[in-house]
Amino acid sequence: MAVAAASAPRIENRSGGFSLRWLGNALAHGYVWAWLAIFALPFMATLAYSLRTPDGIWTLSAYQYVFGSFKENLLLSVQTTVITIVINLLISVPAAYAIVRYPLPGKSFILSALNLSLYTPAAVMGVSLVIAYAFLFRIPQTMTGLIAAYVVGTFPLMLVPVIVALRDLPMVFEEAARTLGATRMQTFWRVELPLLGPGISAGILLTFVIIFNEFLVTLFIAGPSTTTAALRVYNLTRTAGFQPSTAALATTMQLVSFVVVLLFFRFFGSRYLKGTYLI
Amino acid sequence: MTRVQLVEISKQYGSTLAVDGVNADIAEGEFVTLLGPSGCGKTTTLRMVAGLVEPTAGQIRFDGQVVNNVPPHKRNIGLAFQSHALFPHLSVYRNIAFGLEVKGSPKADIQNRVREMLEMIELTHHADRMPSQLSGGQQQRVALARMLATDPRVLLFDEPLSALDRNLRDTLKYSILDLQRRTKKTAIYVTHDQSEAFAISDRIFVMNEGRIEQAGTQLDIYLRPHTEFVAGFVGDNNAIPAEVEGVVPSLPGEPRLLDVRAAGMRLRGSDPGNIRVGDRVLVFVRPENIDVLDAASAVDEPNVVHGRIEQIVFEGPTVRVLVDASGVLIKVTSSGLGRLTLLDKERRDVMLRLQDVTVVRDDAAVAA
Repeated sequence: MAVAAASAPRIENRSGGFSLRWLGNALAHGYVWAWLAIFALPFMATLAYSLRTPDGIWTLSAYQYVFGSFKENLLLSVQTTVITIVINLLISVPAAYAIVRYPLPGKSFILSALNLSLYTPAAVMGVSLVIAYAFLFRIPQTMTGLIAAYVVGTFPLMLVPVIVALRDLPMVFEEAARTLGATRMQTFWRVELPLLGPGISAGILLTFVIIFNEFLVTLFIAGPSTTTAALRVYNLTRTAGFQPSTAALATTMQLVSFVVVLLFFRFFGSRYLKGTYLI
Repeated sequence: MTRVQLVEISKQYGSTLAVDGVNADIAEGEFVTLLGPSGCGKTTTLRMVAGLVEPTAGQIRFDGQVVNNVPPHKRNIGLAFQSHALFPHLSVYRNIAFGLEVKGSPKADIQNRVREMLEMIELTHHADRMPSQLSGGQQQRVALARMLATDPRVLLFDEPLSALDRNLRDTLKYSILDLQRRTKKTAIYVTHDQSEAFAISDRIFVMNEGRIEQAGTQLDIYLRPHTEFVAGFVGDNNAIPAEVEGVVPSLPGEPRLLDVRAAGMRLRGSDPGNIRVGDRVLVFVRPENIDVLDAASAVDEPNVVHGRIEQIVFEGPTVRVLVDASGVLIKVTSSGLGRLTLLDKERRDVMLRLQDVTVVRDDAAVAA
């Protein structure tokens, strides 16, 4: 039967099918590349703008500003991002543990309430924070204020992936560890935490991308000594107009984001993001 | 070497009683199987012994000491799971070393012990592999090694073979038995597979609806079931409704026999001890304990009944025959060379000789 199917009349059909398939492939590729170009275009334009003087000369000179005062803004962004991620982790992992593993009355209500900050308009949150910081906590325009705002705004981004990962983690590993003589703490550090890797790394990546580029809430609560990189770019655009130097700072920020995500996928991607542990 | 006692233990989940007053006294070095259908409470019972589930009532004792309040990591038990439960992020070596590492054993001791365990399961060259790189049988062997590495007092098995294919199951079944015999550790094994239970146990506890229906040796359970459930659950069986007509006089020490009448058949079977004349009963007789005789060999004695062959199925080593005896369909399994002579006897009249007949009170009829 197989031999008969491959007889002469069929071959002609297949060559016709081949050219059609080739066309389909070309269209599919073209479609993907077209969208990629559309998404990458703003970044490419900014990059091009940062590399040209108004006289039309291609130069890297605009990038000297990156190593000037902007360095401090970048450093502040990195610091606040890292500290926020650490605090998010310290809050979310125990919280997820409690929510998933222990009976809790009104669980779904608590979860919705915790996610509230994700649905709050940034401007509303900014105003509320200004008021709270000025009159309640007395931490306006400080780094503490910035980090507190970021934690409140982004910890659900860490909490939800950890909850999902913990829910998908069979109890049997915990039970095996316990019967082998591990205390609750040993079980957590040696078995559960490593197996929660996919959830935790997803949370870290999400939080990083959001906080490092956060600008709207920062606009409300940052002071002269707590200007983040994103805010600096915005301020420069407002005050100095759109200069190649501003474009250079924007491009640098974009590159930092891009490189961090790339490194993250390079080091954790294959192991954690595919969740290969349980398959 | 630990004696394990369960005293009236129960476990209630909401309004359902998963385990209902289970008693068991398991001797040092004994291999006991909890056998029953899913949902009968056997796994919950095992998990209570492991300390993973807290009993609602009753006591669990190891060597006379009540361990109800001892957390699982201090009970010094080994538990084998259905899904091997190897830690997926640790190598074979680290999996086996886990119990010793959390105890804080010296590195050299851990190394020696893990080597010893790897040799035992014949996986010395796989020490650095990850669990996902092993076959199903290898994974279960590593799980056994991990469980034995800490030298536990009691071995607990929660259907450890049910996820494996049949050949592997047969091999590993005997490995488990061999390990237990060599280490002389008390073992409790949970399964719904009766052939597994018969192959490896010193004693079998048949469980149903949270209770132990019958506890005894393989032969007790197989040949002398005490309840309808045990008779029906363990092995293939004929259940014939009948009524008790009389008690056969017996010598002291001999099992009491009962005469019963079932749809025109006179049968005689052993009495579990709680039956009186006039009771509605079920008569159980195993298909392999029935001989097919020539129709002409009419002998007038109990347990020899007249019938007509309705169906014959050739299964290779055995032949299954369905016989209509006074309106009751009786399953017969015939093996040996004699089975071949049956093949052309469809629709013929025959005589059946029933052996090892047991009588059990018909609880459904009593309730009605």
